[in-house]
Amino acid sequence: MVEHVVDSWRPLAAVLISTVAIALIVASHRRPNVREAWSVIASVGKFAIVASMLPGVLDGTEYRWSLGMVPGLDGEFVAGAEFALRADPLGMLFALLASFLWIFTAFYSAGYMRGLDEPNQTRFFASFAASLSAAIGIAFAENLVTIFVFYELLSVATYPLVAHDETDEARAAGRKYLAYTFFGGGFLVLAGTALVFVLTDTTTFGATAADLAEADPALARAAFGLLAAGFGVKAGLMPLHSWLPDAMVAPTPVSGLLHAVAVVKSGAFGVARVVLEVFEPDLVGELGVGLALAAVAAFTLTAASIIALRADRLKRRLAFSTVSQLSYIVLGLGLAGPAAVAGSGTKTVIIGGLLHIPAHAFMKLTLFFCAGFIHVETHTDYISEMDGIGKRMPLTMAAFAVAAAGMAGIPLVAGFVSKWFLLIGAVEANQAIFAVVLLISGVLNIAYFWPIVYGAFFESHDDADGKPLVEFPLGGRASGGASAGEPKAVADGGAADDAHDDDAAATDEHQEGGHHDTADHEHAGHAVHSDDQHEDHDHHGGPPPGGWERAGWTGAEGSWLMLGPILAIVAGAVVLGVVPYQAMFLELIEVITEGVVG
Amino acid sequence: MSELLPALLIVLPIIGATLPLGVGLLRENVGWSIAALVLSVEAGLTAWLATAVYGGEGATRIVHVLGGETFGRRGATENFVVGIELVADAFSGLMVLLVAGVALGVLAFARRGGPRGNAFYSGYLLLTGGLMGLFLTGDLFNLFVFLEIVGLTTYGLVASDRDAESAVAALKYLVIGTTGASLYLLGVGYLFLRTGALNMVDVSRSLAGEPEWIDGALYGDSLVLAAFGFIAVGLMTKAAIYPLHTWQPDAYAAAPDAVTVYISALVSTGGAYAFARVTWTVFTPEFFAVGQNARILELVIVLACLSVVLGSGLAAMQRRLKRLFAYSSVSQFGLIVIGVCVAVHPAGGTQATRLAVYGVVIHLLGHGLIKGGLFATVGALAHGTGARRVREYAGLAKRRPFLSGSMAVLGLAIVGVPPTIGFLGKWYLAVGALNTRLWPVIFVVFASTLLTLLYVARLLEKLYFDGPAEGAAPAAEPEPEGPGAPGGADGAMMTDGAGSLSYGMIALAVSAAVLTVLLGFAGSALTAAAEPIAQAVIEAAPEVSAGG
Repeated sequence: MVEHVVDSWRPLAAVLISTVAIALIVASHRRPNVREAWSVIASVGKFAIVASMLPGVLDGTEYRWSLGMVPGLDGEFVAGAEFALRADPLGMLFALLASFLWIFTAFYSAGYMRGLDEPNQTRFFASFAASLSAAIGIAFAENLVTIFVFYELLSVATYPLVAHDETDEARAAGRKYLAYTFFGGGFLVLAGTALVFVLTDTTTFGATAADLAEADPALARAAFGLLAAGFGVKAGLMPLHSWLPDAMVAPTPVSGLLHAVAVVKSGAFGVARVVLEVFEPDLVGELGVGLALAAVAAFTLTAASIIALRADRLKRRLAFSTVSQLSYIVLGLGLAGPAAVAGSGTKTVIIGGLLHIPAHAFMKLTLFFCAGFIHVETHTDYISEMDGIGKRMPLTMAAFAVAAAGMAGIPLVAGFVSKWFLLIGAVEANQAIFAVVLLISGVLNIAYFWPIVYGAFFESHDDADGKPLVEFPLGGRASGGASAGEPKAVADGGAADDAHDDDAAATDEHQEGGHHDTADHEHAGHAVHSDDQHEDHDHHGGPPPGGWERAGWTGAEGSWLMLGPILAIVAGAVVLGVVPYQAMFLELIEVITEGVVG
Repeated sequence: MSELLPALLIVLPIIGATLPLGVGLLRENVGWSIAALVLSVEAGLTAWLATAVYGGEGATRIVHVLGGETFGRRGATENFVVGIELVADAFSGLMVLLVAGVALGVLAFARRGGPRGNAFYSGYLLLTGGLMGLFLTGDLFNLFVFLEIVGLTTYGLVASDRDAESAVAALKYLVIGTTGASLYLLGVGYLFLRTGALNMVDVSRSLAGEPEWIDGALYGDSLVLAAFGFIAVGLMTKAAIYPLHTWQPDAYAAAPDAVTVYISALVSTGGAYAFARVTWTVFTPEFFAVGQNARILELVIVLACLSVVLGSGLAAMQRRLKRLFAYSSVSQFGLIVIGVCVAVHPAGGTQATRLAVYGVVIHLLGHGLIKGGLFATVGALAHGTGARRVREYAGLAKRRPFLSGSMAVLGLAIVGVPPTIGFLGKWYLAVGALNTRLWPVIFVVFASTLLTLLYVARLLEKLYFDGPAEGAAPAAEPEPEGPGAPGGADGAMMTDGAGSLSYGMIALAVSAAVLTVLLGFAGSALTAAAEPIAQAVIEAAPEVSAGG
């Protein structure tokens, strides 16, 4: 393939357009309509700039900008590394995805933040735009130092979004978030980058593998370990994943676009850069680190699925699902090493892993948007309160069902294609054990999504089966009878009265009874729900007395500002599943693998 | 003409220091204007000097010998210099730029923030002159003299609030600082005994055994080793390295805000600069490559590592902002000292030396800028809102968006978040250390990011995500007071000169933040400026001259 590098300001423009939007957003803080318009304009503009480079990139042209193109500066940022952006196929994959989905999220978040009457909306939208700038910077970064710059900026930019609510819970989550991401970025990635620089005298992607192959294998392994673990923090690799479920305290658009797409995928994307371009699959296989990475990923995807089974709070279950699904990507990339050694399947596993980046993004964003929409419309956060909600929000739950099916890898939805590649690739690479893990994980996916869908459509609030997995203590209990006669909301298996004693933080909520106040925060009563299985729920959500009202299938369930994006994205997920080649992403990924494997 | 500049830079502020007192006999409140005038001229001269140093290819070494060159060194290496040499080279040239910039910038803060009175401005100018001398001198004994001038004026300025707390802090600083200077003097005395020289270049050459009347290199001599030990301990006291740091938190906390900004940006920097200068160009890497001499370097590194870890830990435990950032300095100078030692450690090659030198130079400048900016922000917030403790910072971001933004940017810069000058310094220190393969040191350097985050994140969370603390009385907004209003006697805030928030303060804080980020993109210019120093250290040359 002919590589053809063109100097262009477009990569920088793609990064900076939302940075400029920050200033405009802050400046128009008194006029919410104008402010939200800037977000939308920036998102459309960002996507347009990124998309304008797509045809060129598919034809083998790469667009490159460096600091040296600014008059009066030479490009060097630190010794041995230019501050440079390059729109190459791999970067395009991530940039295209993030900027495309931001368009929908911009609308959705306007609906969400207004629907809940959230405070500090200007800070929210400004940080959101900043996060997108950093994400595109990560996508286009040409070397490890540049990617580190944006990786750190992304941590900083998303922190205000996690701590947005300013409650104790949100601040604790923010603290944890900063600690984890800086441990991953400022410590692990920085150390790995420095080590690569010391070993090879450069950090440019694609230029380091030869020198690393000649370096001391122990140091090369250490560098790989540091980089993979550092990016793995954001990708939710166990045991460094626990910031992600906690970060769900953030407003749902954040959980959706950032903690299912931009931020976590930046971690997975970083791992992809490290495997494919810093070390390259052959060396990853030779050093034996690919198998180790795949093993960690396999453990993560199984363990996270099992934890998800028992999470009652919908967003928490989705978060563990994210942890699990991200490991599909990492698994595919990790398997590239053993596959390169085995001499077959390299391409397939890489395609599978990379294709799961957009596939998971579309599906998980749908799921989060559904969760957020349910929250805005009904203030229901807990799965045990969602029985029969299909009546109230039919379109939402239908979209939810489709996306959940895709997660489990059911054909015709995006998740199937990527998983198929992964399965085939694992077998080709003589690592059939990972194929088995994938299959088991598919079953677990169904096990944690089906009860939600089933409950929503086929049960009603007063007449629902028990949910043994979330309601009973681990190991079961003596009187394991159905909980049909008990109040639904008591999930700790005790009597309702007990709950009042051990849940001081929720007391206020109890006194308010079922009072719904739109200005009230969703999290006020959840301060103690760090592990929500044995806690009492606040009685904030759930159906109104008399059960869910019936809303038609024509969109009567709520604002189109939120319903529209949900439907658009779930349609995207189906398109990816039905005609993957026409949806650009697969074509792009084939260009990437051509470049890597040849 | 430019040969006169080094002398002029020192003499001008010292002579200028007499003016506020002298003219003050005739008119009141002329101090600020005189200081502004003198320091503006000073800044112009510094810029001139910098152009002269950096204008040509590489960096020119500009030397002025006080007492003339009528006798003394002839040619390149013959004989010794008898007069005192003042040297502006790539290293000192950069540092005097920092001094001139900070000195002028802090004036913007002091105009409203005080302390008031002509005596203060005399001290201020004297301190500037002392610092100029400290950075420009090329003579070991003269370095002691300027260390003392800087020290004594700083003691005075710290105590200029005239309350009990600052008096005690100044006394503590006096005792510890003078002890440190004496130890340094002891080391210089040992060197003088062994080499018969005081000029840095001459001492270095004698140690290397170049003059014909010395039998070979003196690197194995225990007297020389002891000299390094004394000098290192003395200068580490001045740079506030654990466990010799105890003067610093008290001094920073008790000093008036403007003074804290100034001394946090420059005074410890002077100590660290002196340590780097003596270690690099007087002792040179060849000294440490001999026998077991590297052990003493490792001892210093251990202390520096402790300084990094404990400094950050103590900073995270502080309730008062000024003490918090004082401990932060202990930690950051630990990093710098690590870099100084790594540059000359025999375990590292050429590359380690070069990168570590870059790191030290950039972090010295960067830390001065960032820490000065942080203290300016702390001072401005205190003047604007009365908040001096971490818990009083709750929710301040809504009331003071610009100052809070500056604090966020500067705080993240000290953590090492790119693209800031703080990141550049840390990066070079880290890759320099990595080249030596001294793993525990490397670990400490990388972990310092997280340690710094401990206290910075806590502040940012308070500022942005916390409502005013319940139970704690809301910090009172100080009444705006006209110039010359008498300072009250209660609490530190009133005695700080009793000024209210001024645009000068905000401008200083914000411009420090902006400069921190802009310089983050000036990496190549900064390393080009530091290259001649790196070259000199690599070649073990006593003179930092035109780099190749």
